[in-house]
Amino acid sequence: MSDVVLDRVAKHYGATVAVESMSLRIGSGELVALLGPSGCGKTTTLRMVGGFVPLSSGLITVGGRDVSALPPSRRNMGFVFQNYALFPHMTVAQNVAFGLEMRKLGRAEIETRVTGALERVRLGAFRDRYPRQLSGGQQQRVALARALVVEPDVLLLDEPLSNLDASLRQEMKIEIRQLQQALGLTTIFVTHDQDEAMSTADRMVLMHRGRVEQAGPPAEVYSRPRSAFAAGFLGVANLVPGRMTRMDTGSDTGRGDGFVTRAGPVLRLRGHRSIQGDCVLALRGEEVTLRTGQPAGDENALSGRVALATFHGVAIEYHVETEAGLRLVARVPAPGVGGPEVMAHGAEVLACWAPDAGVLVAET
Amino acid sequence: MPSSPPPAARLRGSGPVLPAVLFVLAGMIAPLALMLRTSFDRFDPETLIVSALTLDNYLRFFETPFFREVLGRTIAISALSTAICLILGLPVAYYLARFPTGAAKSRLLMLILVPLLIGNAVRTSAWMLILNDHGVLAAGLARLGISGPLGLMYSASGVMIALVSVLLPFMIITLNSVFEGIETTLEEAAGSLGASHLTTMRRVVLPLTLPGVLAGCVLCFTLSMNAYATPVLIGGPKFHMMAPTVYQQITEAMNWPFGSALAFVLMGMTLGLTVGLTLAVQRRYRRWMA
Amino acid sequence: MIRFTYAAIATIVIGFIVLPLVLIVWMSFFSNPILSFPPEGYTLDWYRRAWSMSDFRGGFFTSLQISLCATVLALVLGIPASMALVRGSFPGRDTITTLLMAPMLVPAIVGGSALFVFYLEVELLSGVQVAGRLAGLIIAHGLIALPWVVKLVTTALTGMNQSVEEAAASLGAPARVVFLRITVPMIWPGVVAGGLFAFVNSFIDLEKSLFLVGPGRTTLQIALINYLEWNFDPTIGAVATAQITFVTLLLLVTSRYVKLHRAF
Repeated sequence: MSDVVLDRVAKHYGATVAVESMSLRIGSGELVALLGPSGCGKTTTLRMVGGFVPLSSGLITVGGRDVSALPPSRRNMGFVFQNYALFPHMTVAQNVAFGLEMRKLGRAEIETRVTGALERVRLGAFRDRYPRQLSGGQQQRVALARALVVEPDVLLLDEPLSNLDASLRQEMKIEIRQLQQALGLTTIFVTHDQDEAMSTADRMVLMHRGRVEQAGPPAEVYSRPRSAFAAGFLGVANLVPGRMTRMDTGSDTGRGDGFVTRAGPVLRLRGHRSIQGDCVLALRGEEVTLRTGQPAGDENALSGRVALATFHGVAIEYHVETEAGLRLVARVPAPGVGGPEVMAHGAEVLACWAPDAGVLVAET
Repeated sequence: MPSSPPPAARLRGSGPVLPAVLFVLAGMIAPLALMLRTSFDRFDPETLIVSALTLDNYLRFFETPFFREVLGRTIAISALSTAICLILGLPVAYYLARFPTGAAKSRLLMLILVPLLIGNAVRTSAWMLILNDHGVLAAGLARLGISGPLGLMYSASGVMIALVSVLLPFMIITLNSVFEGIETTLEEAAGSLGASHLTTMRRVVLPLTLPGVLAGCVLCFTLSMNAYATPVLIGGPKFHMMAPTVYQQITEAMNWPFGSALAFVLMGMTLGLTVGLTLAVQRRYRRWMA
Repeated sequence: MIRFTYAAIATIVIGFIVLPLVLIVWMSFFSNPILSFPPEGYTLDWYRRAWSMSDFRGGFFTSLQISLCATVLALVLGIPASMALVRGSFPGRDTITTLLMAPMLVPAIVGGSALFVFYLEVELLSGVQVAGRLAGLIIAHGLIALPWVVKLVTTALTGMNQSVEEAAASLGAPARVVFLRITVPMIWPGVVAGGLFAFVNSFIDLEKSLFLVGPGRTTLQIALINYLEWNFDPTIGAVATAQITFVTLLLLVTSRYVKLHRAF
């Protein structure tokens, strides 16, 4: 079985650090998504695993075997490139056969495996076409078949869906996940799209400035971001900055500057981890309710006016400008799906959220 | 049926090309046409040209062993120096194309481009001082204990050496732009599928550079078929290639009809061989080319 | 290891191209009476001598004159033609582009001899002498220069994002202002590079001029070749060094406007 271990792997280009001492273990058969904004080091990391970028320091092992110094041709990894990198002068079948020829397999064996691989990606009828005669999605599947047919120890995918249009991306996402699970392949998937990462990965590794910001199962990372960056990148709409001067775990309240709610500079909290000093309350738009009367129960509340409303089909997003000059986003079900009536621009509202809503993270 | 626009409208905006077109027609096409016509005329030592319609000049060319030899030598030297340029040029062009972009790369490219535009007269004279029997090469070899005349001046080998050096920049620049157009991910893909560097070059990169290889070869072959300075200066008066022979016939022998025929044989051979090569190569890559 | 192999080959091959030029520059300072090795001493006399020789000094100025005229001619003919070829919509544009580029493809020795025979026949018919005169050389060099102008200006025009012009027009600029304030500045690098390439290629031409020079009207390249037939002293080195310096400077200027290797 082939688990991949990155042990304090780093990459420097002169004085610039692309990847800073990264340690990560990808279990056998696991799909790990490396997620982050461009320039975060995710592609460099993948290319180091693939053997295209030499390591500045650290170690990469596959199934316990050190591959750090091996050229790509001797790592037995399947790499799917962002632009697919299909050989334009070879037919689909020749592209897929290339890796098998390099492994000096017999003609009959190559033929059987190429046919099998093309069937698996439903391209059997296209075997004699040239890459330029295929659509983007078909090229993508050829690239996948070419990488898989050599029975690699590890599958590496570099932004494989970024060149496809939205509907095809959805389809390919599912196809890649199913293939990967069926073959039980250890897989690293690089993407800048959190939806892609969440819907395909067993584990998500969020990277920022060459470091791992947060790693874990998608559901956990999504609901419990550990930093303001993670919260922002994962699409948390509200990052309310403040300063925690006292956190009262007995009564579950926090006292501080910045969190000026209707109850004064007090934040009602329940079930949050203890934190001191500069911090951010990361609140999803869905967690904020807009009310016209009184806050319900022990909700936190800020009063303000509707500054902007945008329609998103099933939901409406209201941007509320609070009296303290803060802008809060509330995502409310649209009237068509049982939500409240649309609020007018300038309407006075209370933006409310429950004490257990959101995540408190330290300011970075 | 859609009515076609009136001729005046169809030619809208074509006015500004006319002076340039006329200039090329008068300065190149007309002279070439006249020269073709002249090549069918007869030569007369008194009146120079006698109007005729005869193939005598061409027949004389192909019937005279001397001229046949000159053509054969020109083709052989051109083919050989083109092949050497290709072999030497490929690794250099690839190296330059994969060199990280920056000031160092610009300087390297300048080292190729400046010689290309220094002119054949200067570049050939530079080779004269290396190849002659009292030159740099002889002095260098003498220091190593190898003495005696080199015999490179006034020899085919000397002409070849200088020709290859003069033509290499053309080959390198042409090939370089093709290599630049080949995505490095293709090489990485071949590598990750298990191909060694040499296999990647042979199976993936070189087939894709074929159009560029062809363009570079056509350019070098044409330039070398028509080379003048190198055979005259390095080859000397007894070393005959086509271009100097055309010059002699037209300006010294004043035999314009025969000189014209020579010029057309030269152009025809150059064109014929390069077109033949082009067709042969195109057959191989047209299937996957757009 | 692979990188090292490539670097080693590149060094040798580039040396093979560049070293002769380095040597001729070096040897132009030798005091040896003929170009030979090793140096007996160093002197600047050969430069003085080259300048004092009317063949070289006159050749330089003749070349300068011809190349400047040819460049101006090529720019005057080539810029409007390029504009029309890229922007116009008339049939046969590809054919016309090929025709305008053709002088670059026809071997200089053939083009030159054809022009020579043409001039002489014109002279026989009309009594107007063109061969051996400046006008004849300027026409020949105009043909060398024109394709470079057309090539670089059309490239600049095609590479230009035309929506920029549309943006200017939609902001209220009349056509003339769009042309002068938007189009001209954007294709200017192509025009300058086209002119410089035209000039250099005309200046270094040997084969096409060969047939057309007359007594007392020799270009620098022909003067060099003629001198080399009977002499082999460091005067050649001095002239070559001057030309190498001149061309290098022009190319350094050109490289500020375009990527030089893209011009080929």
